[in-house]
Amino acid sequence: MSTATATLSRKQRKDPVQKATRIRNPLSERIAPYAYVAPFFIIFLVFGLFPLIFTFYVSLFDWNPIGKQTFVGLRNFEQLFADGRFWNALLNTFGIFLISTIPQLLLALFLAHLLNHARLRWANFFRMALLVPYITSVAATAIVFAQIFDKNFGFINWVLGLFGLPSVNFLASNFGSWILISAMVMWRWFGYNTLLYLAGLQSMPREMFEAASVDGASSWQQFRHLTIPSLRPIIVFSVIMSTIGGLQIFTEPLLVAPESGLTCGAGRQCQTLSLFLYEQGFGLFKFGYGSAIGVVLFVIVVLVSLLNFFLSTRTRKAR
Amino acid sequence: MKRSSTAIIATAAALAVALTGCSSSGGGATSADPNAEVSFWSFTGINAKDSVNEYAKKVPGAKVKLTEVGSTTETATALTAALAGGKVPDLVMIQNDDLPKFVENSSNFIDLRTLGGDNIAHDYLGWAAGAATATDGSIIGIPTDVGGLGFAYRADLFEKAGLPTKPDEVAAMWKDWPSFIAMGRKYTAATGKPFVDNIETSVFFSTVNQVSEKYYSPDGKLVYDTNPQVKDAFDVAVKTHDAGISAGIAAWSSGWAPGRANGAFAVTVAPSWMLKGIKTDAPNTAGKWRIASVPGVGGNWGGSVIAIPARAEHPEAAWQYIKTMMSAEGQTDHFTQSGTFPAATSAVASQSVLDYTDPFFGDSKIGKVMATSVQKFPSFYNGPDTTPINGALLNTLVQLEAGGVTSDKAWATALHSAKQAIGG
Repeated sequence: MSTATATLSRKQRKDPVQKATRIRNPLSERIAPYAYVAPFFIIFLVFGLFPLIFTFYVSLFDWNPIGKQTFVGLRNFEQLFADGRFWNALLNTFGIFLISTIPQLLLALFLAHLLNHARLRWANFFRMALLVPYITSVAATAIVFAQIFDKNFGFINWVLGLFGLPSVNFLASNFGSWILISAMVMWRWFGYNTLLYLAGLQSMPREMFEAASVDGASSWQQFRHLTIPSLRPIIVFSVIMSTIGGLQIFTEPLLVAPESGLTCGAGRQCQTLSLFLYEQGFGLFKFGYGSAIGVVLFVIVVLVSLLNFFLSTRTRKAR
Repeated sequence: MKRSSTAIIATAAALAVALTGCSSSGGGATSADPNAEVSFWSFTGINAKDSVNEYAKKVPGAKVKLTEVGSTTETATALTAALAGGKVPDLVMIQNDDLPKFVENSSNFIDLRTLGGDNIAHDYLGWAAGAATATDGSIIGIPTDVGGLGFAYRADLFEKAGLPTKPDEVAAMWKDWPSFIAMGRKYTAATGKPFVDNIETSVFFSTVNQVSEKYYSPDGKLVYDTNPQVKDAFDVAVKTHDAGISAGIAAWSSGWAPGRANGAFAVTVAPSWMLKGIKTDAPNTAGKWRIASVPGVGGNWGGSVIAIPARAEHPEAAWQYIKTMMSAEGQTDHFTQSGTFPAATSAVASQSVLDYTDPFFGDSKIGKVMATSVQKFPSFYNGPDTTPINGALLNTLVQLEAGGVTSDKAWATALHSAKQAIGG
């Protein structure tokens, strides 16, 4: 709207004679821009905002999609906070998130540093190769990793057997299945983050590093005091993206133990919050309870994002 | 002017479409034409196409549009979504495990008594028809098949272990569960290999379905935690585990199909619909398997009904399909072709079912074993939480085999997770 009036007033100043004809359609002139951006907002309203608000509404009900819908107030939440399965899923989500994100970002940083090396041959080949896991379908990745980690015939247990170690049933324990799923998540995302860091590294002026080495800074000191601080905005971005993705891990735990349905193991060893939500909402059709899980997940993501935001503004100030 | 007003109209139209798209579509005009095209949702892997072709032959001019939605669970999920606000089919198959929650909300389906269903309902096994009857007496489905139960065992491996090999002798030897476990000990001692594939589907699924009262009392109260019959059924599975005769290979897990082929276990549960799976997984074991009655009395695993949703467009045509294809003759034909065991009482007792054998299973009397199991099957009331409770108990046994819980804590763990599962 401001653009429209701005053009209008400029025209007015230039050509006062046209003023009358210009002003004849002020309504349509003013509405047109809204109409042009409307499709996005309508789609957002229908598929984004409405479901969000409706989820809050449904979470207050005992909602049977093909039967009765009874208002129960906050009972779903009371039940949820007393539900061991919820705390288990929360623990799994954060466990997988931490095990997959921290080593992944460190590895990405290290690889980016290597790939940025001036004397690296076929640099473009290596850079492109990093994206292969990212473009591989999650389903394929899950099948391959489930085979690698299999308790009877898996590659890892074969290697353990060579050293005379007993075979490990990764899917039988929480921690073991976290490692399995984290490995999948890392495999899929490390290339993406490496490329982000590499882009950041390449935008840094080489003179800065040359000056540092003239001053006698070792390679580690350069990394610690030049590379990391200048990459900080990109690191913050990748941490936020990994957080949002990490808290919503769904496909990997769904596909890694298909025989146990939606629980990812008979004892829910690797059931994440979003898989728990799906199990309750769409496996058992407890829409109210599922929505309550959705609301809690939403609050958790908002809280963690606020924490990230706080940390990133603080680091910006520190700089 | 023109351009922007077009934009406004387009926006309004988009909004209107989007908003009306959210509300559920109203019931279409119902038609009484029995030959109108019937949309039919079935499961994959049960040869529904054969039945549809057969129907077209029997009733010239009748049209059926078949959709194989997916597994039984996927079909139930799709049906729930459709009933909640989408386009419903005219005919749908519902597996018995998914049935209680639909029966509980019976208003979503046409009461088949209005179409004459009460005249044919007593043609089917009492418990099978009863499972599709709501508390107010409305009949929401007609049984299409039941899951006649047997045990499949490897005669060649039994012979090596010095056990009897003929189905009659085997069934007599494992007449009850303690003798089954004793037999397993003998087998494992002789061969050093596990006897049975797992305790949750092969043992517990069999024992827990041989009760007169399961998770609910006959008047619909939850008794899973106090009913001694459930605890006994569970204990048999735990004892089987303690005896060290189970391979701990869960059904449909990665080691199951290879295990059927390579003799990692000698016994596996075999409801009628699973026989085909053994053939597919282990084609090289042809002639080595036998089918015998399960230990204890009778049993059933699975089975389905066919129903007509309340908002179906062509209920008359759908009913014509049910009447034609679910007759005793129709079900007998389908059994010999595809292996789904009939639910019609006269079909179960018919000579062509009783005489059914298969060379793959060493010409064991499959038909007779299955028929006896469903005739002896004691009926009990299944409620909306039967499936979640079942899942919780089953999963605890899986954990027991994986070393996640100990035998003495298994029952307490199972009750705890069942309680969580039903939100109590």
